[in-house]
Amino acid sequence: MTEIETQNVRFSYSNGEDVLKSVSLRIDQGEFVALIGQNGSGKTTLAKHFLGLLRPREGTVMIQDEDIAGKAVGEVARRVGYVFQNPDHQIFSATTMHEISYGPQNLDFDEDEVSEQSKHAMDRFDLTAYADQQPATLSHGVRRKVALASIYAMNPQIWILDEPTGGLDWRSEQETMALLHELNEAGKTIVLITHDMRLVAEHTERCIVMSEGRVVAHDATRTVMGQEETLKITPPQTWRLGNALNLRPLPLTVKAFCQEYGKKLATEREIDVRRS
Amino acid sequence: MSVAPDFYIPGRSWPHIADPRAKLLVLALAVVLLLVFQNLWVMLAAWLLILIVHRSAKVPRDRLVFLLRALLPVTILMPLIWVIFYPAGEVIISIGFIDIHGESLAQGLTVALRIQAMTFAIFALLFTTDTDTLMQGLVRLKMPYSWGLMLSLALRYVPNFANSYSSIHQAQQARGLEYESTRGLKRVREMMPVLVPMIIGSFRSSEQMAIALEARGFGAPEVVRTYLNVICMRTSDWALVAIGILATLVLLTLNISYGFGADPIAIFP
Amino acid sequence: MTIDIQDFSYAYPDGEWALRELNLRVEEGEFLSIMGANGAGKSTLCLALNGIVPQATGGRIRGNITINELNTKKHSVAAFSRQVGMVFQNPEAQLFSVSVEAEIAFGLENLGLPRDAMRKRVDWALNLLKIRPLRERSPSQLSGGERQRLAIASVLAMSPKILVLDEPSSNLDPSGKGELLAALEDLKSAGGLTIIMAEHDSELIAEFSDRIAVLDHGRLARLEPPESLFANVDRMHALGLGVPQVSEVAACLNKEHSTNLSAVRYEEAYESMKNVFEPN
Repeated sequence: MTEIETQNVRFSYSNGEDVLKSVSLRIDQGEFVALIGQNGSGKTTLAKHFLGLLRPREGTVMIQDEDIAGKAVGEVARRVGYVFQNPDHQIFSATTMHEISYGPQNLDFDEDEVSEQSKHAMDRFDLTAYADQQPATLSHGVRRKVALASIYAMNPQIWILDEPTGGLDWRSEQETMALLHELNEAGKTIVLITHDMRLVAEHTERCIVMSEGRVVAHDATRTVMGQEETLKITPPQTWRLGNALNLRPLPLTVKAFCQEYGKKLATEREIDVRRS
Repeated sequence: MSVAPDFYIPGRSWPHIADPRAKLLVLALAVVLLLVFQNLWVMLAAWLLILIVHRSAKVPRDRLVFLLRALLPVTILMPLIWVIFYPAGEVIISIGFIDIHGESLAQGLTVALRIQAMTFAIFALLFTTDTDTLMQGLVRLKMPYSWGLMLSLALRYVPNFANSYSSIHQAQQARGLEYESTRGLKRVREMMPVLVPMIIGSFRSSEQMAIALEARGFGAPEVVRTYLNVICMRTSDWALVAIGILATLVLLTLNISYGFGADPIAIFP
Repeated sequence: MTIDIQDFSYAYPDGEWALRELNLRVEEGEFLSIMGANGAGKSTLCLALNGIVPQATGGRIRGNITINELNTKKHSVAAFSRQVGMVFQNPEAQLFSVSVEAEIAFGLENLGLPRDAMRKRVDWALNLLKIRPLRERSPSQLSGGERQRLAIASVLAMSPKILVLDEPSSNLDPSGKGELLAALEDLKSAGGLTIIMAEHDSELIAEFSDRIAVLDHGRLARLEPPESLFANVDRMHALGLGVPQVSEVAACLNKEHSTNLSAVRYEEAYESMKNVFEPN
């Protein structure tokens, strides 16, 4: 099934210029795709169309093969979970439990389901200890988890995350990415908006690159990295180093680099041994 | 981060260059005169005069039209109220069974023009003076600097508020927020998921801003604050002040002693 | 201009000890980075370097921080603004003026500087951060990278000898980070400035730091140059922190292929790795 599809989507804010110039793309079920581009390229604007937060001036947006034109955001939210960049833009409740159950309640889950989903979400994110505390008073890292848990409790099929790792330490970053893989392995579709090319290389299979309101590349991550110059992206150190040292295939991860370089090293050592 | 809504339209005309203190004084005097005078023709003259100031400051037509449009309801309402509820003077027109009395019409029109004139006068100041300059003017008139800073910061954060409302609203929509009521207490309660993060956010921002300001020496004890672009009363500014005071005195004398402009229709009763 | 942190502990008014018994001395001209998990105390330490902690924040405090003989408990924050310039993560919460020039002048106006001296300093700061062409612009029209440079310029204009940056790259996209990188390079080579940077980005840290202080739950867990700190990848991961990719690569190769590589920056990684193929 095609999870997300846009056809010739054109969008501009009320004051004029087109932010999206004619975007057509397809994301299939179960994909883990990165959505990248410079600030102002339109990536967040496009992502908001997937939830119906923004509506195109022209063109259609289909979620799970259904046109969402007439649907309320709340309805699309049953299938599309959108995690915003700033967790403080949503935290408002008196207790963490209440905060996390806000979403499921709005989706009209029945009482038992609300409580079950919320508890499950709190468990998953280690927030049970904070259940009765005011989420706004918790530390930044914990607030981010509350935001994630709030969407997790709604159990959407499609996840869109806008820069979920900004300002996070390494461990929290790893945990977040592990969550995304866990969701992906359970069959969810993940769209990750990020600037961090290291994360893109290490975790995503496909990549959508946007520039000036258009999709300029939509391919396997490896292929996209290979077009660094035309697409004006800076690949992670392993890729660049691999390129400079002529390793083939070019390594997207540290592990891959180690393997490729190790092979080359072994060959060189053999040659040395033979020589001496 | 968005532009602070300070209405300022850059320019180098005489209203722009004039010292904000002179402008503030002239504005204050103008407001006093506008309140004192009751005559329609005098009010019309004042209204035209203020518009001339706008034109000489090269204020684009669309700004003025915007103001006129905003005041349209009041402009129509005032004469209507006066004519209907406070009939006075001779009947000048009869439409069906409604008699329009001359004096009350004049009074209504005068009130409408007065409101417009005062609005235009205030905006003449705002269009030609940027926030910093205006604040400095007030501070030099002995307003504490921290008040001026507070006002500038408040203005500067207005667009932030609008933006954060939009972001927060979207974030909550993503969790199924939908407004069902359109007004009243119920609507306010429904807006809590948007209002609360906005308020918390503004507390956080203001704390961060306060720290940043202190880290740049704000509030240094025993320091006389200086300014990079110091405002200075020039001869032309003193002239403006002098003319303003003189004109006010003359006009007030004429009004008090001779009834000039006291009657709605007759200039000199 | 040295920073002397002696047995320093601090707790916010309603909280636990955020910093515990820190002992650290920063030499003049040094570029020191502070790493630590979220909540480890990086920001608190930054704020302690100009007196905001404890003067604006209250709470409990033990030990001392002296900045060139001035104790942070005993002199006003405004007095420290001449010694220590501080730039925060979010430009939104620092920049408020009508123009770039006005923003830079703000601190100088607060210090009561005469106008000629102010003009000179504003010009100097604009040049140093390469934002001269933006002089008349409103900060709201600037890109993320430009705003961060403006924030730095506006504190450096006050001529502090110490610059503290609290997670300067967190809110920046790649081009903004590039601008920040270039600015830090310029500042480092211009000399005369002690720079303290709290950051998560290990690759940014590796580029400039003379030493790195690692905070763990408020304590100073490690204090060493990047070369030795990033060499032990497992130890860093155990502290919840990352290392530059090239360091990970070096560690991996050393472990699995018995090489003897060490790198924290891209260029040195390239140099040492291509050499491995040199015939003896």
